[in-house]
Amino acid sequence: MNPQKMFLYGAIVLAGLAGPFIFPNNQVQMTELWLFIVFALTWDLVGGQMGYNSFGNVVFFGIGMYACAVVQIGLVYDVGEYTAAKGGGTAFIFDLAQYIWGFAIGLPVAAMLAALAACVLGSLVLGMRGHYFAICTLGLGIAAGEIAAGWDWIGAGSGMTPAPPPHDIDNVNRLFYYMAFALAVATFATIAWLLRTRFGLAINAIRDDEDKAEAMGMFTTRIKVTAWVIAATFLGAAGGIYGNLKRFIDPLDTAFSGATIGVWMVLMAILGGKGTLWGPVIGAIVFQVTKELFWTYLLGWQRVALGVLIVVIVVFFPEGIVGRVRQMFPERFGPRADAREGAE
Amino acid sequence: MFRVMKFAAAAVIATGAMAGTQAFAADDVITLGAAVSLSGKYSTNGEHTQRGYDLAVQVINERGGVQVGDTTYMLEIKYYDDESTATRGAELAERLIQQDGVNFLLGPYSSGLTKAIAPVTEQHGVPMVEGNGASRSLFTSGYRYLFAVLSTSEQYLASAIDLAAERAADLGKAPNELTVALAFENDPFSQDVRAGVVEDAQRHGMQIVIDDKLPKELNDMATTLTRVRALQPDLLVVSGHARGAATAIRQIQEMRVDVPMLAMTHCDSAKIIKEFGDAAEYTLCASQWAPTLTYQDDLFGSAADYAALFEKTYDYAPPYQAAESSAAVMTFVDAFQRAGTLDRAAVRDALAATDMQTFYGNIRFDETGKNIAKPMVLYQVQNGAYVVVAPSEWAAADPVLPRPGWADR
Repeated sequence: MNPQKMFLYGAIVLAGLAGPFIFPNNQVQMTELWLFIVFALTWDLVGGQMGYNSFGNVVFFGIGMYACAVVQIGLVYDVGEYTAAKGGGTAFIFDLAQYIWGFAIGLPVAAMLAALAACVLGSLVLGMRGHYFAICTLGLGIAAGEIAAGWDWIGAGSGMTPAPPPHDIDNVNRLFYYMAFALAVATFATIAWLLRTRFGLAINAIRDDEDKAEAMGMFTTRIKVTAWVIAATFLGAAGGIYGNLKRFIDPLDTAFSGATIGVWMVLMAILGGKGTLWGPVIGAIVFQVTKELFWTYLLGWQRVALGVLIVVIVVFFPEGIVGRVRQMFPERFGPRADAREGAE
Repeated sequence: MFRVMKFAAAAVIATGAMAGTQAFAADDVITLGAAVSLSGKYSTNGEHTQRGYDLAVQVINERGGVQVGDTTYMLEIKYYDDESTATRGAELAERLIQQDGVNFLLGPYSSGLTKAIAPVTEQHGVPMVEGNGASRSLFTSGYRYLFAVLSTSEQYLASAIDLAAERAADLGKAPNELTVALAFENDPFSQDVRAGVVEDAQRHGMQIVIDDKLPKELNDMATTLTRVRALQPDLLVVSGHARGAATAIRQIQEMRVDVPMLAMTHCDSAKIIKEFGDAAEYTLCASQWAPTLTYQDDLFGSAADYAALFEKTYDYAPPYQAAESSAAVMTFVDAFQRAGTLDRAAVRDALAATDMQTFYGNIRFDETGKNIAKPMVLYQVQNGAYVVVAPSEWAAADPVLPRPGWADR
């Protein structure tokens, strides 16, 4: 790693750590931003690097969200009673140790359940290609939402309130911020590393010509499922944090929100430049900042403005921000021969 | 790489600027914050809510504002659009409090949104007075900063069930022989109304023959209605916000479904009389308020005066969602004046001690923050008008039971 890169990474980590102290009022939006980066990176691993456009990644996000909330509650109380009482209230109090343990166990369970779901669903649907795969995943997202909305144990359509934070934590949002930050760093590091290995070459090969890759002796379906499982693991953990951050889980609006988060994760990756490492990160930052600005200054027209932005991006910058920059300054940002140094 | 850094820096600066430019706090203005549904599935009622707030603020400011201690303040509302989603609502509440420095929140539209926002206001110790979150579960969570001027969800259709039991003879049956069909949207509010209806029906020994959960964004309930036609229940109860009411009226007419009693929520916010004319006749409607009630206050005058002013301003009769929103603003103003300060905790305590009459009804909160001084009313659509038929204290006419069949109209 060259010094320039070290400096950049160092600066980003420092900015991330200091963020909530510099802009305490924007803490929640920054927490959301780190989670958005996770959404975009994990979507891009499958959608950009492997060429499988999934509209159903929100399934893993929702599974993680419910799994984490259920574990947090289930460790202390009966989940059915908790949801029947419509969440929390004075009868359901969590002390600090219970709350922390809830996360310590809940987040790994969320990640694992999401990974398991990806493994099962992936084996079933990753044999499909192109539009068929895209439509199938779209269906998965909708089906998951309907199932959650009909399941009384997790609150059905009335939604679920995650474990209320104990009063000893005076700034619980800061806890969420650092969890989201750590998750985003871990996701980035894992994907950056993966893309330097043979696995990275393999998923790129699948994107470029799957038949040829298969003819070369690759177990393509196994590789594809593995990639989806990796994406789902991080997305599941992100869901666990997001549910607690929002403090109310609506099955269709929060957990399996295909029309918002499900679409946004695709959009952020495309906006930044799909199939690049930094594209999804930059896409997420630009998206979150413009979204917040539109929502503030264009009240009533925010969705229209966002729609116009999407059209402009797709028409004028189909290769995304990073892709565009690479085309304009190939000597500085273009792909390099040594980019795959670890691949051999 | 350098460019990437420059870009990141610009993004950070932009975020900072966003926080800076928004903070405003003029000396003699009290800013109330509200995230309401200006778009999305609740946009009809979101608009009623916003207009209710705006009308109250306008009238209060015209009367010279609010006297708090020695200072007179004007009122102002900072709005955001929550797009009818819980996630967005919670974000916006956070933003109103943290970035815009708003100390007092007015509620959003719907129980789901209120549920999402209440934990945020509670955490920051920001008082919220709401007029559109009726779900009973909001008031079992121990929230100290949440106050609701409306009657809670389980009371919505209780009088319709009681009416069915009282008038069972008109339907040719004993109360415990009556059969009930339920069609409720799968959202926090409607499901809570359902819980209340189920309790009431069981108390009278009625039999529930259909119990359907309808999807959000309700556009079609033909499957349920087909079963209603087959099983012929005595009472059909529907709840699904404004869309649910409109869909039910439209399809019951299209499919010519005959049912002796039809009761629902949100008739007036769906403007069923204006939109569907004769098809809306004989529908029983739960309402938080009616312009014919005899309440009054110094600001708006009587309930009828409020209705006239609202109609003059916005060109349609006020649905109760607008009335209760106006009442929420009045509740805040009353608390500001009694507290004599704009300290959040003091205003919260003043709110808890509220005991007043408004054009909308009496307002007095129990320790959980819900209004216990105002009952629900039940309308029936008769000759193109909403007529109060229950409770008997305000009843202007006898309910027409059973509904005439489509063949006889």
